[in-house]
Amino acid sequence: MAAWDLSVTVEELGPQAPPLKISVTSDLHIGGVILKVVEKSQIQRDWSDHALWWEQKQQWLLKPSWTLDKCGIHADARLCLTSQHKPLRLRLPSGITFRLRACFSSPVFRSVTGICKLLNIRHPEELSLLWPVEEKKRKKEKDVEEELYDITRAPLPSSSIPKLANGMPAFFAEAAETEAVYKMLAVSQPAPAPETIAKLYRTTNITEKAHINSRWLDSSRSLLQQGVRENDKLILRFKYYTFHDIAPQADAVRVTQLYEQARWAVLLEETECTEEEMMVFAALQYHIGKVSLMEQFVTSCPAMEDLDSALQCLEVKMEGESSADDMLETMTAPELHDYLKIFRPKRLTLKGYKQYWFTFKETTISYFKSKEESCKEPIQQMSLKGCEVAPDVSVAGQKFCIRLLIPGPEGMNEVYLRCEHEQQYSRWMAACRLASKGKTLADSSFSSEVQSIQSFLAMQKTTPSTNTAQTDESINTHSLVSPRYQKKYKPKQLTPRILEAYQNVAQLSLTDAIQRFLQIWQALPDFGLAYVVVRFKGCRKDEVLGIANNRLIRIDLSVGDVVKTWRYNTMRQWNVNWDIKQVAIEFDGNVNIAFSCVTADCKIVHEYIGGYIFMSTRGREQSNTLNEELFHKLTGGHEAL
Amino acid sequence: MDDIDAMFSDMLQEMDLLTQSLGEEAESAPLPKPPSIPDPQEMNFSIGFTDLNASLHDLEDNDLDALMADLVADISATEEKFATKRDTFTGSAPVAPIPSQPQNNFSLLVSTDTFRPATSSNSIAAPPPPPASKPSKEELEEQMKADKIKLALEKLKEAKVKKLVVKVEIMDGSSKTLMVDERQTVRDVIDNLFEKTHCDCNVDWSVCETNPDLQTERGFEDHENLVEPLSTWTRDTENKVRFQEKIDKYEVFRNPQNFYLWKKDKKSLKDMKDKDKEQLLEENFCGASVIVPDLEGVLYLKEDGKKSWKQRYFLLRASGLYYSPKGKTKASRDLVCLVQFDNVNVYYCKEYRIKYKAPTDHCFILKHPQIQKESQYIKYLCCDDEWTMTLWLTGIRIAKYGKQLYDNFKVAVRKAAGSATWANRTIQASSSASTPSPTPKAKAANGHAPQPAVETKGSGNQTTFPPPPPSMEILPPPPPNTAKVNKFPPPPQFPQSSFPPPPMDDLPPLPPPQEDAELPPEFLPPPPPSLTSNGGEALPPPPPDLFASLPPPPPAPQNFASAGGAPPPPPPPPPAAHKPTDFVRKVAPPPLKRTTPQLTAPSGGDFMSELMTAMQKKRSHQ
Repeated sequence: MAAWDLSVTVEELGPQAPPLKISVTSDLHIGGVILKVVEKSQIQRDWSDHALWWEQKQQWLLKPSWTLDKCGIHADARLCLTSQHKPLRLRLPSGITFRLRACFSSPVFRSVTGICKLLNIRHPEELSLLWPVEEKKRKKEKDVEEELYDITRAPLPSSSIPKLANGMPAFFAEAAETEAVYKMLAVSQPAPAPETIAKLYRTTNITEKAHINSRWLDSSRSLLQQGVRENDKLILRFKYYTFHDIAPQADAVRVTQLYEQARWAVLLEETECTEEEMMVFAALQYHIGKVSLMEQFVTSCPAMEDLDSALQCLEVKMEGESSADDMLETMTAPELHDYLKIFRPKRLTLKGYKQYWFTFKETTISYFKSKEESCKEPIQQMSLKGCEVAPDVSVAGQKFCIRLLIPGPEGMNEVYLRCEHEQQYSRWMAACRLASKGKTLADSSFSSEVQSIQSFLAMQKTTPSTNTAQTDESINTHSLVSPRYQKKYKPKQLTPRILEAYQNVAQLSLTDAIQRFLQIWQALPDFGLAYVVVRFKGCRKDEVLGIANNRLIRIDLSVGDVVKTWRYNTMRQWNVNWDIKQVAIEFDGNVNIAFSCVTADCKIVHEYIGGYIFMSTRGREQSNTLNEELFHKLTGGHEAL
Repeated sequence: MDDIDAMFSDMLQEMDLLTQSLGEEAESAPLPKPPSIPDPQEMNFSIGFTDLNASLHDLEDNDLDALMADLVADISATEEKFATKRDTFTGSAPVAPIPSQPQNNFSLLVSTDTFRPATSSNSIAAPPPPPASKPSKEELEEQMKADKIKLALEKLKEAKVKKLVVKVEIMDGSSKTLMVDERQTVRDVIDNLFEKTHCDCNVDWSVCETNPDLQTERGFEDHENLVEPLSTWTRDTENKVRFQEKIDKYEVFRNPQNFYLWKKDKKSLKDMKDKDKEQLLEENFCGASVIVPDLEGVLYLKEDGKKSWKQRYFLLRASGLYYSPKGKTKASRDLVCLVQFDNVNVYYCKEYRIKYKAPTDHCFILKHPQIQKESQYIKYLCCDDEWTMTLWLTGIRIAKYGKQLYDNFKVAVRKAAGSATWANRTIQASSSASTPSPTPKAKAANGHAPQPAVETKGSGNQTTFPPPPPSMEILPPPPPNTAKVNKFPPPPQFPQSSFPPPPMDDLPPLPPPQEDAELPPEFLPPPPPSLTSNGGEALPPPPPDLFASLPPPPPAPQNFASAGGAPPPPPPPPPAAHKPTDFVRKVAPPPLKRTTPQLTAPSGGDFMSELMTAMQKKRSHQ
C-alpha cells in the first residue's frame, strides 16, 4: 500500500510550530498515527489524554482502532493532536467563576457529568451549559477583574474521585485554599450589593426570556465541535426544572447552587412573583445569609451557645424586673412588666396613646392603671393566641410600636403598643410573636426571637450608602429584592415589610430555609417555564411556546395569555424535520401541532422536550444509574442515530 | 338519714340496672363509659378538664370515709398535691363554663339536657351518705381506690388536658354527644363517630361547623384540632357541629383533572384514566412543593364595609388570593393581594343573595376562625355558579393546607377500607378495657362516659342508661379513674361540675345532703355561700348571674333537710341549674375565659375543704 504524508499539528510544540509530517498508509489505525506523532515530537509526557481533532470536519477521531481509510482521512486532512480536557471558565449559578478542566471531546452531556462529579453535584442530567450573554461594551469595566477560583489541578473526572465523609471530593481537602474554594461552592453567597443586581442583564419581557434559551449548548455534541475554545467562558445552570431526589446531606453543593439560581431568578425577575412573594423571598434570603454566616464562624460549640442564651435570658429578666419580688416571680414563670403606651384606633376618635402598667403572662397581656394597682383587676386582658403581630417601627424617629390585630368574635381588634426603646420593644415584640403562635415566654425560642428582632432593627440603623457585601448584621434591604422594588421602596419602607415576612421564617434552620425558598419558588406559576418564540404552522404571527416539565404551553406573545396547554402524557410522538426546521407533535385524540422555531434552534426545543421526558423516566429506586443512552435517544435527533 | 339511705338504695338499684344492661362489663369498675353513653345523647357542649371529671368520679366512687382517711393520712405530701389537683378540678370546672358556653347554647336548644344536670346534682348529693353504710364491705377496696386515685391524680396533673363535650348533629336529625380532648384531631373524632353511628364510613364524612349568624358552613380538615376552634366560640353562640358527608371534601383526589385541568373541555376529562389521574396527583402533590390549581377568573367581591359587589379578575397562587386591578395586566408584579391564607379559613355561605344582596347564592368568605359575626375583616366573595365555587374553595384549601390534605385523604381511604372490621375489634376491646389505655381516643371515651353517667343519674331515668353500654366500650382508656367512678352513680355530679354553669349548682347540693343527714341547719348555710362566692370569683363575667342562680339552690337544700326526703331535693335544684347555665351563656364574655380558670381554682379548694369538714362532722355525729 502506498505511503503518503499526513500533517498533524501538535499543540505542545507551540502555536507557531509547523505541523509534523508523518508517513502513513491508509490502513494505519488512529492509535498508530498518534504513536507516530508522539515519537516524532520527541516530547516526554503523559499523552493519555490526547486525541486527534480533524479541523476541516470539526470532529474528533476517538476510535483508535479505526483505520484512516475508514475515517475517510486523506492527505489533505489537517489533524491536530490535542488534549481532550481543557481548562474552561465556568460560571456557576451563584455567580462565582471557576476555572476547571472539562472534557472537550465527549458530548456536552458527558462533559457536564464530569464537571458535576468534580464539583460534587448529583444528578448532572438536570444541568447544562450555555453561552453567556454577549457582554455589551461597557466603559471602564476593566477595573473589576473577576475573581476566579482555579481548580484545574484537580484530577480528571474520568478517574474516580474519592470523597470524604461529608461528600466533599478529597482533592478539595488537600489544602486550606481548596477547602475554602469548596466552601464557595457549598455555602450560599452573601447578598449582592443593590447596584450589582441593577447592573446585571435582566429580561424584561417574554421575548427576551426566550432568547436566553437560544444559548444552550447542544448536549449531543462536544464542546470543541460547538466552537468552545480553551479558557472560554460558559455558564453552568440547572436546565431541567425537575429536581430529583434532593437530599440536603449529600447535596450541599447542589442545593446551594440551586438556591443561588432560584435567588437570582427571583432577583432578576426571570421567575416573576408578586410583591408579597418578593417579601417572603427577601426575608428568606436575609435569614439564609445570616444563618450561613453563623454556621461558618461559630463552629459548633453548643456549650457556648447555651451559656450565651442563658446569660441573655437572665439579662432580659434583670432588665424587666425592678423589685426582688418580681424577680422571684419570673424565676417560676417568665413574665414581662413595663409601663407601655396603648392606642386603639377607632372611628371618629383621635385619642392618642395612653400609658398603663402592662404585664405579659403566658400568652396574655393585661394592663392596669399603674404598677401599684397591678394586683387588682386589670382594665383589660388581651389573649394574643392567633393574633397578627406587625411592627410599626422607625429607628430614626425613635418609634417602636407593635401593631396587634387580635381576633375576636366581632372581628379583629386593632391595638397599638408603644415601647420606649429598642430593648423593651424587642422583648415585647418577641413575646407577642410567640404568643400569637400559642407559645409562652418560657419557650426556648424567646431569646433568639429577641435577638433576631434586634438584629433586624440594626438593619435600619445602617446607612444605605454602605453597599458593600453583607457584613455581620448590617444589610441593605435593597440587596434582597429585585430592582423593581428597589425603585419602588426606600430601604426603610422595605424593612418593615420584610420584617413582617421574616417573623414566619426566623426560626428555620439553614437547610429548612433553603428548602422553603425553593418550595415557594417552585410553586410560582411561572416556575420552570422555558420560552421559545415559535411560529405555528398556518399562523402568521409569532407566538411563544412555554416548555415545562409536564406540559407545553402556547402563549399569546402580545398579551401573555396562555392560549392552550398540552401535557406530555397525552403526547403520542414528536418529530423534527431538520431540513425545514419544524417540530411536529401528535397528541391523543388526533391533535396535531407543528411549529418552526424562531429564537432558538429546533434542536434546543427538541432537546428540551426529550429531556423532560427523560427526566420523568427516572425512577425513585434506580436513582444512581444514569441512562445516558436513553437521554441521547430522546434528545439527540438525527445525529444520535 | 333515712331519706338519704333510701335515695342511695334507689341509686344502687339504678346502678344495678345499668350494670345489667351493660352485662359483662358491669363487673369491671372501669365501665365508666356506660354512663357516658347516655350523656352523649343528652349532653350538648361542655368543656371540662379531665382532671376534674376524673377526680370527681373517683371521689364518688370511694366512700367519703375513705376519702377522709386519705386526706388526713397524707396531709404532708399528698395533701398539697390533692389540694392543687382539686383546686384545678374545681378551677377547671369553673373554667369549663367558658368553653362550655357553646355547649350551654346547645343545651339551651335541648332544654331537657339542662334539666338533667340539675337533677343529677341532687342525686349526687345523696350519694355521699350511702358510703357510710358501705364502708364495712369495701374498706379495703377503698384504700386501694384511694391509692389509685392518687396515681390517677398525678397522671392527670401531668396531662392537664382540656376536654370538651360536643354535641354533634347527624343528618337524620339525631345527635351524638362525645367528649373531645384537645389532643384529638378531627380524624380521631370522625373515627369515634363512625363507631357510634354505624354509617358507611366513606371518606366523605366530615365534621362541620355551622354559624347561623354568618350563615356559613365549613368542614374541619381531618388533621385539625377540634377543641381549639370550638373553644373560641362565644357563650351565646348558636354554632353547631355536624357530622355529614361532604362530597367536596376529597373530590380533588378522586378527580384531580376537574381541578387541575379545569380549562379543558369537560368531555375529555370525564373518561380520564386512573393512571393519568394518579400522575396528576403525583405531579401536583408529591413534588417538592404542592402545586395549586391555576385558577383565575372573574369573581364578585364585596368591598370592605360596602354593600355593593364588584367584579374583579382573581388569580389563585400558593401565596394567596390576588386580583388584577383595572387597567393592569395579569402579570405577577401588578397583582394585588386580597388575602393570604395563613390566618384565615374559607367558609361556604348560604343564601347570601338575601342576606347581602349577592349576585348569586354561590358565595364564600375568608375570615379568621375566631371572627363569629359580621365584620369588616371578612372577605366576601361570590361566584357565578356552584362549580366555580367548588373550584375556588378547593383551590384555596390546597393553597392553605398543601400536602397535608392529600395525607388526610390517604388516611381517610385507609380508614374507610378497614372501618368495618376495625369497628368490630374495637367493640370487643372496649368491653374488656378495664385497664386504662393511654390513647387519646380512649381518653376521649372516658371523658364522654363520666358526663353521660352524671346526666343519666341526674335525670334518674334508668331508661336512658341502655345507650351507655356502647359508650363504655369506647371508654376503656380512662379506666383507673373512671372505673371507680363508674361503679357509683353519684359521680355524675362531678361531670356536671365540668359544665361551667352547673358546677356551682353541684357544689351547693353536695353539702346540703350531708347536712341533711346529720346537721342540716348549721351546715347548710355555710356551704352555699362559700360555693357561691367562689363561683362568682371564678367566673368574673357571670358572677352576678351566678349569684342570682346560686341563691335558689341553698334554700332548696334546707327545705329538703327539713322535709327529710332525699328525692324531693332534686326538683328544686334543676331549676336553679337551668338559670345559672342560661345566665352564664349570656353573660360570659370571651375575655373572661382566660381569667376564670385561675380564679376558680381557689373555689375548688374551698369546696374540698368544705367537703372534708362536712365529712368529719358527719363522722363525729355517727
